[in-house]
Amino acid sequence: MSVRASNHLRWLGGVLPVALLLALQWGSMREDAPRYAVAPLQIAITLWELAASGELWRDALASLRRSMGGFAIGAALGVGLGLVCSVMRPLRNFFDPLVSLAYPVPKVALLPVFITWLGFGDASKVAMIALAVFFPTFINSLYGARSVNERWVWTARNLGASRLQIFFRVVVPASLPQVFNGLRSGLALSFVVLFAAEMVGSKNGLGNLVMKAEESMRFDLMYAAIVGIGLIGFGFDRALLALRRRILARRFPGEAAHG
Amino acid sequence: MAELPKTRGVAAERLQRVIPVLVVLIAWELLSRSGWVSARLMPSLVLIAQALWADLLSGLLAFHAAASLSRALSGFALAVLVGVPLGVLMARVRWFDAMFEPIFSFGYPVPKIALYPLFVFALGFGSPSKVALIFLECLFPIVLNTCFGVRSVQKKYLWSAANMGAGAWRTFFQVLLPAAAPVVFSGIRVALPLAMVVVVITEMIGDSRGLGYFISYSSASFKYPSAYAGVAVVAVMGFTLDRALVALRAKLIFWERAPRLAQ
Repeated sequence: MSVRASNHLRWLGGVLPVALLLALQWGSMREDAPRYAVAPLQIAITLWELAASGELWRDALASLRRSMGGFAIGAALGVGLGLVCSVMRPLRNFFDPLVSLAYPVPKVALLPVFITWLGFGDASKVAMIALAVFFPTFINSLYGARSVNERWVWTARNLGASRLQIFFRVVVPASLPQVFNGLRSGLALSFVVLFAAEMVGSKNGLGNLVMKAEESMRFDLMYAAIVGIGLIGFGFDRALLALRRRILARRFPGEAAHG
Repeated sequence: MAELPKTRGVAAERLQRVIPVLVVLIAWELLSRSGWVSARLMPSLVLIAQALWADLLSGLLAFHAAASLSRALSGFALAVLVGVPLGVLMARVRWFDAMFEPIFSFGYPVPKIALYPLFVFALGFGSPSKVALIFLECLFPIVLNTCFGVRSVQKKYLWSAANMGAGAWRTFFQVLLPAAAPVVFSGIRVALPLAMVVVVITEMIGDSRGLGYFISYSSASFKYPSAYAGVAVVAVMGFTLDRALVALRAKLIFWERAPRLAQ
């Protein structure tokens, strides 16, 4: 869904961010500035110090371990089950009503319950993220596979392909664009749930760093952690889009650029 | 795929959708009574129903649900009111697009929830900070979908309208907006569950009102049946809001069927 502006107006894109940074820098230097107005330069310095001391990497790694673990489990289950359900009617009749019922329900409501079940450590967060990621990946994979052009399936059948061959050589490749849409929504959701869970209760991780900094009124530290969170969310999304382009480029020249 | 649709009665169709839900509920009840899992952590459905009934009668659940609902809906409504016009402007006005497009496409994958402590400092622990965060989180899918929807309206519709002498105003309200409406609506449908997620999360992080608080308080004070009752209310709310939105869509965009959930 990328929408490109014409080239000679590109510079306008920088206006608002630069204006905001300048306003913050200027506002933070005033006498009557509230304490949470921290100069962007100060934030950059703190971020640099945190990175140099290794503290930032420790928390970022703790966060990433959880989010990637949860994302991998949830996405594997969601994509796998979604694709299999598309070709097995009894399985689909069982899972489809359950998933469409639970899809609009905010799964994070279960977070306190998961914490009492699995403790304050990694397990409760990984489970919560996996659950949240499962739904968009399942639904997109299932409907992606269901909307595969029937003629391709008929053609394959006509040429004597077995059911397994049809599944792996026709259905799965043809549903990839939609599968990637599901993975992208799941990835974004995994970070929201992760940082929320770390803010609610955790001993480390970037979400916890934000809360610790807030409690000790170290606003520069808080902003640095927030910037770290933003960079992680942004970086992983771009990495997934690059992967999508690489995988889809050969099969769907039109689809790959899209999104 | 390549399966002929079987003709079956509506009742049978309904039944087929209810059975899986019943299977899960029965499995829960059996697990709870089997002793394999702690019955305290996974209480019997009877206990949960009793807690739900008691908390409903005492007005406790209604109080917290009203707080959550009003926050979620205010933030969501604000995002629609601001997001749709902004998306339309981005699609139609060049310099607007150049100015805002990078912010929305770069900001889209950033987890906005990290800004919550900041919002708390600026706006306090009560509703305003939560409404502001919900607004921000919902704004992104609404703006991006609106912009995309308006932009992908077929040129020939606009040309025909111009040809038949429609002015800018009529073209906008009678051609552009209806043609873009389906895509605009799918952005809105993505945003509504987000509003519920953010309201529950922020209430868990810190508040003394709202369902998020009720669930985390009940579970921290070992009242697990009450915690599950709270989860049930959140679930019913999320589901009902989504259905209501689909019904509204069917009324407004009567010429096109709603897509399945994947959108």
